[in-house]
Amino acid sequence: MGLEEKLPEGIITTQLETLVNWSRENSTWPLLFGLACCAIEMIATGSARHDISRYGSELFRASPRQADLMIVSGRVSNKMAPVIKRLYDQMSEPKWVIAMGICASAGGPFNNYAIIQGVDKIIPVDVYVPGCPPRPESLLYALDMLRKKQAKDTFRTYANLNAPPPPVVPDDIESLEALRQPQLA
Amino acid sequence: MLNVSPRVREYETLPGLNPLGIPAVAPLPTGESEDTNRLVERFGDAILAAGLHHGQQVVYVKPEQLVALAEFAKRDPALRYEALIDVSAVDRSELPISDSRFHTVYQLRSYARKQHLMVVCPLDDRGEPEAPSLASVYQGAIWPEREVWDLMGVHFADHPDHRRILMPESWPNHPLQKQVPVGGEEVPFTLTWSDPEFESFGKQILAAESKPPVLPPGMNIENMIINMGPHHPSTHGVLRLVVELDGETVVNVDADLGYLHSGFEKTGENKRYKDFVYYTDRMDYLSAMSNNMGYCLAVEKLLGVEIPERAQVLRVIMAELQRLASHLFWLSTHVLDVSGTGMALLMYATRERERILDLFEMACGARLTVGYMRIGGVSRDIPPAFLGHLEEFLKAMAIRIDEYEAMLTSGPLWQERLQGIGKLTRDEVINMGLTGPMLRGSGVDWDLRRDAPYGGYENYDFKVPVFTEGDSYARYLVRMEEMRQSLRIIRQAIDNLPDGPFRVEDRKITPPPRAELDISMEALIHHFKLMTEGFQVPPGMVYHGIESSKGELGFFIYSDGSAKPYRLHVRGPSFNNLYAISKMSKGAMLSDIVTNIGSIDIVLGEVDR
Repeated sequence: MGLEEKLPEGIITTQLETLVNWSRENSTWPLLFGLACCAIEMIATGSARHDISRYGSELFRASPRQADLMIVSGRVSNKMAPVIKRLYDQMSEPKWVIAMGICASAGGPFNNYAIIQGVDKIIPVDVYVPGCPPRPESLLYALDMLRKKQAKDTFRTYANLNAPPPPVVPDDIESLEALRQPQLA
Repeated sequence: MLNVSPRVREYETLPGLNPLGIPAVAPLPTGESEDTNRLVERFGDAILAAGLHHGQQVVYVKPEQLVALAEFAKRDPALRYEALIDVSAVDRSELPISDSRFHTVYQLRSYARKQHLMVVCPLDDRGEPEAPSLASVYQGAIWPEREVWDLMGVHFADHPDHRRILMPESWPNHPLQKQVPVGGEEVPFTLTWSDPEFESFGKQILAAESKPPVLPPGMNIENMIINMGPHHPSTHGVLRLVVELDGETVVNVDADLGYLHSGFEKTGENKRYKDFVYYTDRMDYLSAMSNNMGYCLAVEKLLGVEIPERAQVLRVIMAELQRLASHLFWLSTHVLDVSGTGMALLMYATRERERILDLFEMACGARLTVGYMRIGGVSRDIPPAFLGHLEEFLKAMAIRIDEYEAMLTSGPLWQERLQGIGKLTRDEVINMGLTGPMLRGSGVDWDLRRDAPYGGYENYDFKVPVFTEGDSYARYLVRMEEMRQSLRIIRQAIDNLPDGPFRVEDRKITPPPRAELDISMEALIHHFKLMTEGFQVPPGMVYHGIESSKGELGFFIYSDGSAKPYRLHVRGPSFNNLYAISKMSKGAMLSDIVTNIGSIDIVLGEVDR
């Protein structure tokens, strides 16, 4: 079809954005970082039976500088929260976060003094995985969801990322949906 | 000889101690035993009460004589309580009594005489609560006393290292005190910004200003101080070690815990007895079944319930499978940590572990946080196909253990990294209150399953592996042999699995079968009452320890007769075992710390609780 018919075999054409997204989708390296019970299921996901390397994510990096994905696998305590925030800040863009399990998503059974009710209070989360702990299949499904999200990324998504956000006047906000609209545009 | 059976003491006659309706808010011991008699003989009036309570030896002692009593109990040839297993405290301010608000509770253990002694020390109400520290007698008291100070606010006089241990330094209160709320946040179900509920968002988060790190006591800033964790691949979770190095030689190690502190004890005090079973899964998440079992046995001890034979055997099968799974996980991560490239064993061991998880899934539907056991039995019977799969697994597993050993035991690299590393002598492990493979790797022949049998373990024939070298290699051999013995126990359990009910038929404790709900109004009422109100547990105080895969997992429960535990304390084996990291690592190379952590076999969920 079109240009590709004229080109020699083995050459395809695509958009640069699609190519970049394709490579990001297929080599999302998670941060080697476990908190609680979910970390054990995360390790199970990485080992032989579930084989996370089918998703290109088997390379758990110990340094946040080399990681693309933070899997918050477990409950986040008050003492751990600043550490997680710092680890997230140290990861280079583009970066994604999966809140694995109910504790990381919303505090789970631990609604008490020690545990922060959801890691999204301190860092932005892309995919929430329900379960206590989620089965390895759930984590793989979350990776699938993340791939769908990564596929929609444009260069513009990251272009103005470091610019300060426009000031929000609390009185102007009508509803949560209204607040979300301009961000999506 | 003095008569120690319920004597009328000043302590008992205080007004309001035993008001009507609450028969024994202060669990008073009755009867006597040789050990309590000996202590009463020696200390006379300093002993407020002594005797037996739920079959346990309990001594109430005045704080002035506590250290002397501990010293005597340790040195006296007729007592020989060599080890302090646990320290906890009870805040009694919500009980209808007006005497000592805080009690500190000590669990002493004699390995030579196979005895257990509970020492309770009612503290003076004047001023800040203060107890004498037992650190001078038992080294194993140092960390548990720090924990009691941190969570309960009881000050320990003459404690060598009086710092918080779990909560951040800036934490405003001592969370286990009764006047401190459970905390947590309301979950707002609204999408309107004007809703005042949004104001509670993020309140849970403690402000964390950036500030220079505090140098742990005893460390010299002239040396190199490095931080291992809380985000480190080989600390098995969120453990932080501050390591002082001279070149590559370790001078000092200070462990900073609490990065996974989840408030289990406070949560437990606000949940009904039956609801806390599911929390125990999440403590030592590698041995959920053992945790279930320890907790259920402790509550059953308070209730005085005997569970059916079949339930006992099912529990043993599950607990031993869990021990296998936990040791397999330990082995795979240990090899990975030590050799760096031992990915193969991780894959092999996970393969077998997955089979165990499949068996769990057959029995209860969950892989990791099983919640299989219930107070009064187990949640459901095993499916018919279970035993067939278990048989197959047993056959395969026996060969696999030999395979792992062939890969490791006489491998020069493995021996080099483990032999002579993290050496602990027999006296040290006892003095530090270590348990489990740490104890048996250093020549102490002690296993609760054999020496203080619970849950029907007295009916099984198994060996307790003991090695005297006391290094990481010995502990490795202990765990490998334990896996073989677990297989033997499961084998015997399958052969002797009786038919019958899988839980007690007491409708006050266990729910009626589902089918009965459709036809019987009474069953429906029982079910409703049980699910909404739980059941009440008679007042009392028990400590029950079981041999979990990591060591002695103990549950201390103080009941005031209501449906919720008044005080629930967990003695996590990883917590006490981790204390040894400093002793093991001093003078070794930095890389040996990694071996030591793996060799202790910690799970941070249990260390921090």
